[in-house]
Order: sequence, then C-alpha cells, then structure tokens
Amino acid sequence: MSEAVVLRGIGRTFAGRRPIAALDGIDLTVRAGEFVTLFGPSGSGKSTLLRIIAGLERADAGTVQVLGGPPREAARRKDIGWVPQNAALLPWARVRTNAGLSALVNRRADRSSHPQRVPQDVDGILAEVGLADFADARPGQLSGGMQQRAALARVFVQGAPLLLMDEPFSALDEITRSSVRLQLLDLWERHRKTVVFVTHSAEEAALLSDRVIVLSPRPGRITAEIEVPIPRPRADCAADSDAVRAVEREITAALRAGASG
Amino acid sequence: MSARRVALAVGAPAALLLLLGLLWSWTASANPSVLPPLASLPAELAARPDFYVRNLGHTLVSALSGFGIGVGAALLLAIAVVHAPVLRSAVLPVALLLNVTPVVAIAPALVVAFGFTQVPNIVVAALTAFFPMLINALAGFRNVDRGSLEVFRSMAASRTDVFLRLRLPSSLRYLFAGARLSASAAMVGAIVSEFTGSTRGLGATIVTATTYLNLPQMWVAILVSALVSLALLGLIGLVERIVVRW
Ligand SMILES: Nc1ncnc2c1ncn2[C@@H]1O[C@H](COP(=O)(O)OP(=O)(O)OP(=O)(O)O)[C@@H](O)[C@H]1O
Ligand SMILES: [Mg+2]
Repeated sequence: MSEAVVLRGIGRTFAGRRPIAALDGIDLTVRAGEFVTLFGPSGSGKSTLLRIIAGLERADAGTVQVLGGPPREAARRKDIGWVPQNAALLPWARVRTNAGLSALVNRRADRSSHPQRVPQDVDGILAEVGLADFADARPGQLSGGMQQRAALARVFVQGAPLLLMDEPFSALDEITRSSVRLQLLDLWERHRKTVVFVTHSAEEAALLSDRVIVLSPRPGRITAEIEVPIPRPRADCAADSDAVRAVEREITAALRAGASG
Repeated sequence: MSARRVALAVGAPAALLLLLGLLWSWTASANPSVLPPLASLPAELAARPDFYVRNLGHTLVSALSGFGIGVGAALLLAIAVVHAPVLRSAVLPVALLLNVTPVVAIAPALVVAFGFTQVPNIVVAALTAFFPMLINALAGFRNVDRGSLEVFRSMAASRTDVFLRLRLPSSLRYLFAGARLSASAAMVGAIVSEFTGSTRGLGATIVTATTYLNLPQMWVAILVSALVSLALLGLIGLVERIVVRW
C-alpha cells in the first residue's frame, strides 16, 4: 500500500451554544514513508485533524482511511504511534518501561500477525536516542529534552508504521529543541515511518518535512502545499543553511497569504 | 538530615509535649475533678495492663474490620463509577446522605438490629471509613494525565490496561490520603459505637469510667486510643513511602 492516510472532505464542527467550525473540506493524501507537516495559525484545527487521523476524535463530514481502513482498526493493531505535546511518560515507571509501554497494553494486538508493525528492541532504541544510561531512571530524573527523547523512543519501540506528532517539541527551549529535532530526523531517516507532524515553527517544518500543508484560520482549510526539495539525509545539514531558509520563507509567506485570502 | 534538622524535628514536638504536660499538671492541681494528676496515668496503666490490652484489642478489631470493609466497598464503587459514569449521579447523593447521618444516631439503631454483639461496632466503623475513601478514590481515578490517556487510547488499550497501568498508579497519592482519613474515622466510629450497646472496647471503658468518675481510667483509655490512631497513621505513611517512590 502506497497511501498511508487518505482524507476526503473532512469537516468537524464542535457543537455548543455557538458551534465552532474547526475543519472544513480537508482533502489530503499522505504517502507511505512520507514526512508531512501541518502548519497553520492557532485554532486552525491542526490538533483536531491529527486526532481524527488517530481515531481519538470523529469527523462529522468526509471519510478517513488510515493504513487501508478506519482509524480505530489501525489503532487496534497498534499501528499508530502517538506523540503528544507533553512527553506523557508514566512518572512511576522507569524509562525502560515507559519506552516499552506498547508491549504492555493491548496484548491482543500482538497475538494476531501485524505485517506493518515491527516492534523494536527497547534497549537498542534507548541507545539510539542517547538514553542508554538512563534506562533505569524515572522520568522525574530526566530533563525536558530527555523526556521528549524517551517519548520518541516509545513510538519507535512500538514500531508503528504511522507516527502522529502534535507539537512534540513546543515545550522545550530553543537549544534543546533543535537537538531533539535532529534526533527525530536521525531516527526517522533510519526507520522510515510515515509521519504527520504539527508545529508552529516554520524552520522545524522546513528542516524535517517532505511536504508542508498550510491551513487557513478557522475553519481550517488547506491553502497551500509546499514540497521541500532539500536532499536527505539532512541530519548534517545546518538549520540555517540557505536551502532551509528559503523553504522557511516560502512557508511563512503561504501562511500569510492564506490568512489574508 | 542535618543535625540541625534532626534537632528541630525532635525538639519541636518535645517542647510542645512538655508545655502540654505543664498545662495539664497546672489544671489538674487547680481542678482535681476535671483532670487526674499526670502521674496517676502510668500508675493506672501499670496496675492492670491486660484490662487495657483486652479493650484496645476489641476496639482495634472493630476499627480494622470496619476499615477493611468500608475502604474495600468505597474502592469497588469508585471503580464502578469510573467505568460507568452514569452511576456517578446515583452514587454520590446516597454516599453524601450516609456521610451526614450522625454515627451516634445510627449506633443504637444497629444495636436494636444486631443485639449486643460486635457487629454494630464494625458496621459503624465501616460506615465512617467509607466516605473519605470514596471521595478520594473518585478524585484520584479521574486525576489522569490527558496526554497519557491519549497515548493509551491511540494503542487501543483495554479498560483493564487503562485502569491498572494508568488510573490506579496515578491515583495512589489520593488513595493513601483517603486511607489516612478513613483509618482515623474508623477508630472514631468504633469507639463512639461502643458508647452504646457495648461492654467491651475503649469506648465502653470510657463510659464506665465516666459513670464511676474514674478519671485515671478515662484518660488512659482516651490517650491509648489517640496513640493507637497515631500509630495507624504512621503505618499507612510507611506503606505509602514504600509504595510511592517517584
Ligand atoms: N473538544 C472540543 N470542544 C470544543 N471545541 C473544540 C474542541 N477541540 C477543539 N475545539 C476548537 O476547535 C478549534 C481548532 O482547535 P485545534 O486544537 O484543532 O487547533 P490547533 O490548530 O491545534 O491550534 P493550536 O495551534 O493552538 O494548537 C479551536 O477553535 C478550538 O477551540
Ligand atoms: Mg493544537
């Protein structure tokens, strides 16, 4: 299957005294192995869209196909890796247990064969994200950046073919953020998952993505799609290289055009 | 801990106790009909330790059985409510009603029902232990990090997974707080229920002492019950420190 996520005419309106139209007519196809970033102003429905793809939220218009079926089915096979904004580690569990969480829940999924999901060795991934020495530590003993690395380790251990990340680095300071960002780039270039990523940083979008989807203010509609032509691997490519800067400017311009138009 | 902090941790309560002792002695010598001389208390205890051990044992059995039953029922109910939120609106008013009904009023009614046995004491202790645990467990089971819940849901974790691996550990601090309140409440419930319809236990000991104006017996019983409640709290705190290590 070459299409990981297919969205057709997705709409979502939150009921209430004054109903809020969060999303309207979203058409988007994410190819398997592609890194796609959702970029848009606050309130444009990025999180809502990501939650719809994860099956955590329902759409009230349109159709969602995730890995060839409805999102909840993909979730039941543990084929979706979710990285929330806070690392959401279990404070009582050691880093190794947190990273290996996927093997502890929904054991039913492990009994049937799962051709798309390839669980990885916990200690191997912890070494890849530089947490080998902290496997026995508790999350409270880690810095914010290390916690976010542990959260990345958790989805890469899970081995899900589709990773959904909602501003995973937004709580980090700039220096930590760029180092964890490179960590993700490195992991992704080695494990090649499909990623749908949300960020408010144009630089982050340019550096990480194959394609950037720009959303309009509420209700979120797609106003631009920007292909990022920077060759990979990019882990060594400096964030302030001219190529990254050019894409960054293009993204920011598209955001402005979408907001005014 | 530094020497300074040890001195403070031991010294402050010691100083307070000394002050209370002085206050006691002063009151006792001024009004002998209100407080017995401080020295009469150890003498009373030493004169018949088996009497106090027997009655304390009776009260402890009521309090601990009541604690077990009340806390167990509260936990089961809280678990049911988390998994079927419709129960919430049904459970809370009834629990609240139970809580505002004075124990002293229930105790005689239970004696009528169960006779002069230990059953009324256990039931009252269970009733008083129930509510604090229920409230804390309900709050604790809901105190779940939203991001973590989403991580679990994104992997289609079962309800059992979510409960055992997320809600229960997240709520431990609440549960221990509830256990502390429930333990004290169970002791109070057991003793108060012994005021009526019991010939045994610290509550009964206090009542007979009052009848015969036996001040030393009354105060030994009161102090023993206070110290034992304190010991129970200490024990729960110890277990908490062993279990909650993060
Ligand atoms: N559960 C909900 N109930 C009601 N309204 C909601 C709910 N979730 C989101 N919304 C509304 O939908 C709109 C889009 O929200 P969403 O969180 O998807 O935006 P976003 O693009 O992720 O914003 P941000 O960049 O600030 O994270 C907002 O106006 C928000 O108030
Ligand atoms: Mg958001």
